[in-house]
Amino acid sequence: MATDIIMPQLGESIAEGTVVKWLIPVGGMIQKDESLLEVETEKVTLEIPSPATGLLNEIIVHEGKTVPVGTLLARIDSAPPWEVVNRVGGVVVRPMASTPAGDQHHSPAVRQLAREHGIELSQVKGTGVGGRVTKKDVLDFIAQSGSQVDVAAIASEPSMGEELLPFTQMRKTIADRMVRSKQTSAHVTTFFEADFSSITKFRETLRQDSGQSRRLTYLPFVVRAATRAIRDVSIVNSSWGEQGIVVKKDIHMGIATALEDGLLVPVVRYADRKGLAQLAKEIADLAERARSKKLIPEEIQDGTFTITNHGGFGSLLSTPIIHQPQIAILGIGAIQKRAVVIDDAIAIRPMGYLSLSFDHRVIDGATADQFMAKVKHYLEHSHWEQIL
Amino acid sequence: MDVAVTAKEIKRDDLLQMYHYLRLTRALEDRITALYRQGRIVGGVYTSHGMEAIAVGYASALERDDIIAPYHRDMGAFLIRGFTPGEVLAQYLGKRAGPSKGKDGNVHMGDLRRGVFGFVSHLADNLPVAAGAALAFKIRGESRVVFTGTGDGGTSRGDFHEAMNLAAVRKLPVVFYCNNNQYAYSTPIRLQMAVPNVVDRAKAYGMPGEIVDGNDVAAVYLAAKYAIARARAGEGPTFLEFKTMRMHGHSEHDPAKYVPPELLEEWKKEDPILKAEQLLKQLSYGDDSYFQEVVERVKKEVEAGVEFAEQAPLPEGPEVLEGVFADKADSY
Amino acid sequence: MMTMTEATEDVSYVDAISQALDEEMARDERVFLMGEDIGTYGGAFKITEGFLQKYGEWRVLDTPLAESGIVGAAIGAAMMGLRPVVEMQFADFISCAFDQITEVAAKNHYRWGAAVPMVIRAPFGGGVHGGPFHSECPEGWFFHSPGLKLVAPSTPYDAKGLLKAAIRDPNPVIYFEHKFLYRRIKSALPQEDFVVPLGKADIKRVGNDISVITYGAMVHLALESAQTLADEGIDLEVIDLRTLIPIDKEAIYSSVRKTSKAILLHEDNKTGGIGAEIAARLAEDCFDCLDGPIVRIAPPDTPVPFSTPLEEFFLPKTSDIVSAARKLAAY
Repeated sequence: MATDIIMPQLGESIAEGTVVKWLIPVGGMIQKDESLLEVETEKVTLEIPSPATGLLNEIIVHEGKTVPVGTLLARIDSAPPWEVVNRVGGVVVRPMASTPAGDQHHSPAVRQLAREHGIELSQVKGTGVGGRVTKKDVLDFIAQSGSQVDVAAIASEPSMGEELLPFTQMRKTIADRMVRSKQTSAHVTTFFEADFSSITKFRETLRQDSGQSRRLTYLPFVVRAATRAIRDVSIVNSSWGEQGIVVKKDIHMGIATALEDGLLVPVVRYADRKGLAQLAKEIADLAERARSKKLIPEEIQDGTFTITNHGGFGSLLSTPIIHQPQIAILGIGAIQKRAVVIDDAIAIRPMGYLSLSFDHRVIDGATADQFMAKVKHYLEHSHWEQIL
Repeated sequence: MDVAVTAKEIKRDDLLQMYHYLRLTRALEDRITALYRQGRIVGGVYTSHGMEAIAVGYASALERDDIIAPYHRDMGAFLIRGFTPGEVLAQYLGKRAGPSKGKDGNVHMGDLRRGVFGFVSHLADNLPVAAGAALAFKIRGESRVVFTGTGDGGTSRGDFHEAMNLAAVRKLPVVFYCNNNQYAYSTPIRLQMAVPNVVDRAKAYGMPGEIVDGNDVAAVYLAAKYAIARARAGEGPTFLEFKTMRMHGHSEHDPAKYVPPELLEEWKKEDPILKAEQLLKQLSYGDDSYFQEVVERVKKEVEAGVEFAEQAPLPEGPEVLEGVFADKADSY
Repeated sequence: MMTMTEATEDVSYVDAISQALDEEMARDERVFLMGEDIGTYGGAFKITEGFLQKYGEWRVLDTPLAESGIVGAAIGAAMMGLRPVVEMQFADFISCAFDQITEVAAKNHYRWGAAVPMVIRAPFGGGVHGGPFHSECPEGWFFHSPGLKLVAPSTPYDAKGLLKAAIRDPNPVIYFEHKFLYRRIKSALPQEDFVVPLGKADIKRVGNDISVITYGAMVHLALESAQTLADEGIDLEVIDLRTLIPIDKEAIYSSVRKTSKAILLHEDNKTGGIGAEIAARLAEDCFDCLDGPIVRIAPPDTPVPFSTPLEEFFLPKTSDIVSAARKLAAY
């Protein structure tokens, strides 16, 4: 049963009125005689009481609009508008008059935002249905308070020159892992240089051909070359087992990913079975989700080899630490145009250094160099258009 | 008509080759049945036991670049097209080395390079597809032919009707056959159709039809040759009804108690291998010691296939996700 | 998004389809057409008018009334290397060919590596007083068959580009063209050859408050509603899926991450429609970005009725979208 709310005549000779403010949001519950909206005329602003009890089903005239007396402003349904017709999805409205703070149901988006920004939701005013805190309410709250939140308490001495940065879980984990890796493996690093011209050329052709943004970074190419080299020198894809060296037949490639506050190594599974486009896609996806903390545990497990792209800020060479229980890690440095000698003449080529740290318990320098020679070969001589 | 007279038209070597394939088909399917009974093959096993002459006869009459769109009692055709016993057994064992790489089982094999379509379990679905391949030949002006067929049960389905009709209307270079082995699972022919012979339907579609002794490989071969020639000459489709008897159950798990034993006893005398040997003797192309040689030879071939298939690796779980979509489509 | 270079006069949705067929047949001799009444008659909707004269009776085949047989034949021809485009006179008749489509065409490559490069054109959708057998939206049946690709354009540009892409794709594609849109919308099209890639949705309207994810004729309903809602300060983002399989998850997710509210809108019946699948995925993969319940707007679970008031009640209207959006915006 619907009740019409019309613009009342608020005095003789008054012909129109302005809706100033709806005191109940659409879908909200209202009792008879409770104030429903504020209306203004030339002479006066008044609160209009509701003629019925029910749910404010529909607002037709919105705040700020001026209409003649008698205009239909809204409708109240005395029965809740559950699904009358199985056509429009039910936004099931809970007729909550008010809810005690802290007891409220918060939507996933609201909770996520609160988590990310360290906000106490009980402090946030809700403007949604039934006083619910909406995503916009949280965003507005953040904009107003304008503070970056530190989750841990900061204890600092009044004296200058010293600041204590408490350990985060991530930092503790990284520290532990790095030290133990160094204590476990006999780390040796060997350096090679590769000519990236064929890759650069291919990237350029792709960019021109596709028109849209079909850009590949250098990383998928390096991954691909590494997987092929691993197939040739498979002992590089192994681990130190109890009874011997366990050579892994599957290649699950860890991609070291820098985060704001640390480092994660998400894994591209069966990396040798994937073409460049797919590798690029997966690497980008994993990196994004690593940074937004959306990886699941399975995605950072079971890596068999790791690649670290340390050239982002200009680093040329590196001595990376092996990601246990693997036995090697390949670093790729910044790719720069250098003067090189080809056929006894000087040419300008985009060159990059490859740094391989390996576990000398498992393989010797000759094997490591064999592997790296293969990586270099595949980087320089693959038919990329067939691998896309 | 004395078949031996017309069989003389067939080259001696061709007839001997057909005998070889009759023996190979029998040996392979018997071995598959044995492995099934030992529990080493899972899933369904459908053989052409006692009906080998049909596939061997018609496949021998085709050119290499003609297309075969078979159904599940055409093992002989697969072998003639170069599917090895090893591959077939790998298929049955669900190995990656089988033509389906484990994605489908038993006789659901196919390979466009060898000109054989992989069929589905829904019988008669292969017939419109065969007509379509024939349409492609006609559109491209190629003198290639498609040979396709199904069992007596399959002819009750709508796709049989739609394919026969389309092929006749457009005079497509396709030969349709029916392996009438008198039973569709447990349904005898009298509950399957109201006409006495399946071939009675051919006229309704406007194509010629012929009844052929399905257990006489020479008769099958000659009838097929005739129909294929018609198709190649642009005269349109022909329908061949191969009369035979299903000597085993619908599949190897079916004891087929619904078949009167006397019927089976009678048809044992008509065994296609027996008849082939009789014919070869009549024509002086072979004798018992020769036949024994062939038996030994195919036995070795089959055993080599068993060894290959048993050692071949099974596919791995994640491979289930491969191959849903194609990256490219070639011409054949 | 459309790149307009050297556009000529406006082309209607139905003519865009006709142009795509004509251009692909001229460009690639492997392309040929099969269907009922497409030759001499020029097709029930006149899409292939003049084609028989231009391409001959062996590239424009008037077939017997036999959907299953025709689709089966197309499969066989496609495997041999031709590129058949089959016309279902109305999408409703595609059920006759359900077996060949889902058991043979969809599964061939998976089972034995044989590609089936064919297209089935299916004029779907209601609003034309067609009744239960000339107004159906059957895409839901095939959405569930691995091995098929499904597309549903909403504009002349997408209609032409998607049909070309479908014909060039090596897989079986069902192309759902909306008959209501045939002569009701026009737009300028580029002169040169262009393709709309399969698997990419299109943002038909950028907005911040609610993502409306839809396809086919409903796209236009969503855009109309967006205009009304804009006046009330509710800003809709309209995502036109364009391809149903493979679905563009990235486009959907990135829109809902932005707006946190989603409406799924389609003309297919509600239960088990594509909206249900997308809603489930949003709940699974985008749970943390949702600030309101996922809403579906679709017809009730009945066949499409004939009588005008019944059909009007059945089909989604702009008022449904507006009212749902208002509620969701205020939630």
